[in-house]
Amino acid sequence: MSISMLDGLLIAVFSMTVVFSVLCILYLVITALSKTLNKVGMASASNAVKQADKQTEVTAPAPAAAATDKDINTVSISTGELKLINVDEKTAALIMAIVSHESQIPLSELCFKSIRALEE
Amino acid sequence: MMFVDALQTIWRNSGFSAITWQQCVMIGIAFVLIYLAIVKKFEPLLLLTIAFGVLLANLPLAGLMNEPPAGSDEPGGLLYYLYLGVKKGIYPSLIFLGIGAMTDFGPLIARPSGLFLGAAAQLGIFSAFLIALALGFTPQEAASIGIIGGADGPTAIFLTTRLAPELLPAIAIAAYSYMALIPMIQPPLMRLLTTKKEREVKMEQLREVTKLERICFPIAVTVFCILLLPSVAPLIGMLMLGNLFRESGVVERLSETAQNALINIVTIFLGVTVGATARADRFLSPDTLKIIALGLIAFAFSTVGGLLFGKIMYWLSGGKINPLIGSAGVSAVPMAARVSQIEGQKANPSNYLLMHAMGPNVAGVIGSAVAAGILLALFG
Repeated sequence: MSISMLDGLLIAVFSMTVVFSVLCILYLVITALSKTLNKVGMASASNAVKQADKQTEVTAPAPAAAATDKDINTVSISTGELKLINVDEKTAALIMAIVSHESQIPLSELCFKSIRALEE
Repeated sequence: MMFVDALQTIWRNSGFSAITWQQCVMIGIAFVLIYLAIVKKFEPLLLLTIAFGVLLANLPLAGLMNEPPAGSDEPGGLLYYLYLGVKKGIYPSLIFLGIGAMTDFGPLIARPSGLFLGAAAQLGIFSAFLIALALGFTPQEAASIGIIGGADGPTAIFLTTRLAPELLPAIAIAAYSYMALIPMIQPPLMRLLTTKKEREVKMEQLREVTKLERICFPIAVTVFCILLLPSVAPLIGMLMLGNLFRESGVVERLSETAQNALINIVTIFLGVTVGATARADRFLSPDTLKIIALGLIAFAFSTVGGLLFGKIMYWLSGGKINPLIGSAGVSAVPMAARVSQIEGQKANPSNYLLMHAMGPNVAGVIGSAVAAGILLALFG
């Protein structure tokens, strides 16, 4: 089998175009996949936050009343007491949900002792 | 008299009486390659085994690559049987399994635009293909020579065994030698094609990639690429299986084996048998010199393709993308990414391009496999 230079040039241009097209489509696939998965991840994280919020509401109905020091909250949850230092409950719930999501351990099986904001 | 006869018989049966000057040259080449692998540390894992294969195959009367005689129970040479793994495309695919288990596709998932750089850096494949055609090689041979520009040894071996097996030793040696020489080939081109201002660009930190994304990536790439180009199934399939072993986190032992024991064993078999195909009667020809020259051209064009597309992305992103990461689009993981890092840091000491360059670098592996699939579909 032999081909002319013109055919060779056409094959080279065609092949390079196919390589580009395949990787372009792959780009779209990866972008779409990432967006979808991140949405699913966000949805499950916000569900977990809501769940955590509910748990907090049930066990610690009045944050102001739960703590005497305004900076240190002590929140009772199903598995014990949780100290919140310079952290509001919503942020704490978010952190707990993220830890649960990342570690793949259900919130009901995790035990948080305290959550403290680091000073800069 | 009997003593002299015995000495004559030993001499006649020894390799010393049978050796030709061409074999002596090949043995000399093997010594040079062994020197480069041990002293200069040029891709020693493969170059040392390839060089020893060259040495073994050119020692006369050893018969290590001999086929079993027809109609006889006598076995063939040891390397003849091991070579079946190359001939049938088994070793390159198994090496891809190991590479997949070792590769972190996170940077590519975080910034998928690296795929464009991986595609642009395949320019050398098709440039060398055209030049090889002009030099009188058949399209199959030209395609096999062109794939050197993919800077991916297993892919080059995989395609060459299918299209032009007689050129395998020259192509494999050229591919691995130039991969080792990337720190010398790329920097002059990088400095020539980019301005200091472009090289100084500090890129934004990549976003974090979730575990779920990492797990879904190899599955999506496998389904998409193999449906589109079934001929790349052995390479992409194994690459992504290895990566799924790594990312799933549930088969630690398999992942460990793929990236250590398995890839090491296959590297030994692949290197020695590819080297053993470099017999004097086949290797010492003007075509070998042409292939070595074309390999260099392919590498240079691939680097240029990646850099020029990097410049386009620099311009389109308003100066946020450093074009130096484009040269990493030639596979050669992670050597090409390291070269981008070094050049970036020379221009701006506080520049850390390594992770940014890893995206195009691993995209180059996919790109060269896709290019090989296209060439195989066209000329196989």
